[in-house]
Amino acid sequence: MTFAAERDLASRAIDTARTRGAGYADARFVRRNVEDVFIKNGDLDTVDRSDTYGIGVRVIVDGAWGFAASHITSPAEIDRVAALAVQIAKASALTKSQDARLAETPPAKGTYSTPVQIDPWSLSFEDRVGELMAAESAMRSVKGLRTTRANYQIWREEKLFLSSEGADIEQTFTETGVGISAEAVGDGELQIRSHPAAGGRSQNAAGWEWVRRWDLAANAPKIAEQAVALLTAKKCPQDVRTTLVVGSAQLMLQVHESCGHPIELDRALGTEAAFAGTSFLTTDRLGSFRYGSELVNMRIDSTSPGGLGTFGWDDEGVAATEGFAVKDGIFVGYLMSRETAAALGTLSNGTMRADGWARLPLIRMTNVSLAPGTFGTLDELIADTDDGLFVETNRSWSIDDKRLNFQFGTQIGWEIKNGKLGDMVRNPTYTGLTPEFWGSCDAICDEREWVMWGTPNCGKGQPGQVMHTGHGAAPARFRNVRVGVGM
Amino acid sequence: MSLPLLGEDELRRIAGNALRLARGDQAEATVSARSIELTRFANNAIHQNVASREAVLQIRVARGKRVATIRTSDVSEDGIARAARSASELAERVPENARFAGLPAAHPIPPSPSAFVDRTAAATPLDRARLAERICRASKERGFRTAGYVSTNTSELAIASSEGVWAYAPQTLAKAECVVMGDAGSAWADRTATDLGQVDVGSMAGEAVAKCAAAQAPRDMAPGVYEVVLETYAVSDIAQFLGGALSGQAVEEGRSFVGGKLGQKVTGDVTILDDAFDPRGMPRPFDFEGQPAQAVTLIENGTARAVVYDSQTAARTGNANTGHALPPNPFQTCAPMHVRLEPGPSSREELIKGVKRGVLVTRFHYTRWVHQLRTIVTGMTRDGTFAIEDGEIAHPVKNFRFTQSYHDALGGTLGIGRDLQLFGGGEFELGGSRLVPALHLAAFNFTGATQY
Repeated sequence: MTFAAERDLASRAIDTARTRGAGYADARFVRRNVEDVFIKNGDLDTVDRSDTYGIGVRVIVDGAWGFAASHITSPAEIDRVAALAVQIAKASALTKSQDARLAETPPAKGTYSTPVQIDPWSLSFEDRVGELMAAESAMRSVKGLRTTRANYQIWREEKLFLSSEGADIEQTFTETGVGISAEAVGDGELQIRSHPAAGGRSQNAAGWEWVRRWDLAANAPKIAEQAVALLTAKKCPQDVRTTLVVGSAQLMLQVHESCGHPIELDRALGTEAAFAGTSFLTTDRLGSFRYGSELVNMRIDSTSPGGLGTFGWDDEGVAATEGFAVKDGIFVGYLMSRETAAALGTLSNGTMRADGWARLPLIRMTNVSLAPGTFGTLDELIADTDDGLFVETNRSWSIDDKRLNFQFGTQIGWEIKNGKLGDMVRNPTYTGLTPEFWGSCDAICDEREWVMWGTPNCGKGQPGQVMHTGHGAAPARFRNVRVGVGM
Repeated sequence: MSLPLLGEDELRRIAGNALRLARGDQAEATVSARSIELTRFANNAIHQNVASREAVLQIRVARGKRVATIRTSDVSEDGIARAARSASELAERVPENARFAGLPAAHPIPPSPSAFVDRTAAATPLDRARLAERICRASKERGFRTAGYVSTNTSELAIASSEGVWAYAPQTLAKAECVVMGDAGSAWADRTATDLGQVDVGSMAGEAVAKCAAAQAPRDMAPGVYEVVLETYAVSDIAQFLGGALSGQAVEEGRSFVGGKLGQKVTGDVTILDDAFDPRGMPRPFDFEGQPAQAVTLIENGTARAVVYDSQTAARTGNANTGHALPPNPFQTCAPMHVRLEPGPSSREELIKGVKRGVLVTRFHYTRWVHQLRTIVTGMTRDGTFAIEDGEIAHPVKNFRFTQSYHDALGGTLGIGRDLQLFGGGEFELGGSRLVPALHLAAFNFTGATQY
């Protein structure tokens, strides 16, 4: 693969750290290449290609952690970085209450590469941009828009991981993301519709086939018309309780915020308390707490095809795994590191991930997904609903620091009357407490409606890190949900 | 010890080489270098402790209205040449951007106070660990748990262009923050300065520990509209959200609450400025296009006066550039980066005294736009929420969710604190800082409660 020279340098870093007193050391080389293209109002607004490359060295010295990183990879700098990591670990020991201890993991050797059908880097730049410009142009055929946007990102990251325990892993990840959006402004309203999801772009561990899956040009006029129509649509019912059907692209963010984050074991153990917060899923609740209805199954799976959290090994060299966070509505599993797993007396399920070479691996979501149900299609679910609201595509999201009290806003909603979609509503919001909300779930659509979405902007850690996480979801129905808050 | 990473001469050399090798009608080179050193603690002990040395060269090349940007962390001779060549080649291939107004011309950069302090740059891992240990000890002595960090960052920014632009500034930033937690309640404090010597971790830990003691066993309080006193930590969030809407780009895209309202009253009697030269902030006299930053009064005693611009937005909308370009990104090209909400006459205690029945909020958590044009934001209170009765803090209350228009809330400004606190350099911020006081507001819409 691509890291012939770096293997010697990584070994040198580990040797230097060990010589200076590290009981454990690992070294990660990361090379990342990204191309971002943004089109706005018919013009190519931005073309930005970036590459970043460097090494991060993580050590344990006398039971305390240190980490140092550099964009310079000369032998002298490698020696400095390794020595600095040891110096930092020795400073960490000043407050040590107990030694860092790692759960066992076999030292892995191997390679992994994201499977892709159409390598996005193999297409010509003109072809990539041309497809995006056609979609953006199709939105502007609709009158009444203030702003139209379209963007794609293609991403390749190569990693080499070596540890003092003997791990030696090379991995190559490919991602492709895309999104289009239309904005309309008028009479004190700003309305937006986007496709295929919210958040600027929807991303997958995939090639250019991910872009073509969404038929951007065909969907562009529809979302543009919806953005305009939303300006004069009926207001969302205000502060009432009703039945809520949540579309797949919105529900995936609900999964991310109300399941993915609270099952991070570092949060439960208090080590993210200052910034991200803690978790209502405390360790005494593992295996017994009713998180949702019996229909609710949440998977932790770093092997899912297309997931942004799919890999061969995590950034501690632990192999990809699959399992449950919530089984038949009961909370049964955390996202873990080797250190936090040891604290629970178990083995890591491999969820330590770092944002590039300059940052320390943290417990991050891999692919945390709502398993498909058995209800049927979205049309069938709506046909089965007498009265309620169908909401789709995120516009606003907020949740408290224990991940209990949430409030989401979506771009669009429709009333459901007697099993049919009725009037469009604008500015829909809904709010609730996590276990009550998932406890009220009485129907989940089946695999025909299930999509592996991607969240390429999950923030955590200090210094801040942005992670790409995967979330599969199918539309689902929730009873007695409070909607239309504060608008 | 981490003194300036590369130095002005070296950044000038890198930028100069990039410009020399770029092929196009215009070119711009931005070089940033930084050292991030952060000691993080939780459960009264250091658990993450990191240092990284990072550099990025960005080259933007324009051929007529064809523009391409390349960024690289490789600032070696080969890396510079490769990036310059790639940007030049890409600029030949990209479609035209009809709205591109050309790179801005050079203008003199005015002098400004230094934002670089040697002792911050020279701080060692042991220096930070000792400060962290003081915070942990103060928490432990009261039987509490604390989490937070101490950081000392050093950065340099240089911008050069074919139009004669040269701008360079080094900066240091020292930060400490902590949440202190008891079994049934928590509290927060943080400090930010360019000078590590100005970051008083003793007073910070004392503030959080004392408030944590008062925050135990919070009671239920029904959601509703309440009079509030917002501590500086919460006001910083308001300043950050409103600042993002006070740009020419936000007005152009129809998402600013001051769009079409310059000269009109939009808030209560508060004054909000952008002042890149305030020595109490994180001064830097130029923006990310190397243009001189102007001091701009955005809202004066509640009346919308101005918004800020970068060169492209200014040209597109027929306004003067105010020197507020952000680091290149397609979503937000310009914003106030040195916001100051002018102080008033009152102490924090006097603000609280003025409340018959209301809520004291320490800080907000996970705030997000619900409706940007109306500045409606939702979020939670966190780490110290108290009922105020008859001008006194009565008891802690469980956290609220709020859904509130921020500029409407300022419309009911009843009191302004006299002490400014500096915020900035936080996680996921594009850049910039805020100097804000505590506020007493007539009405704030708490729309939900939680269980703690």
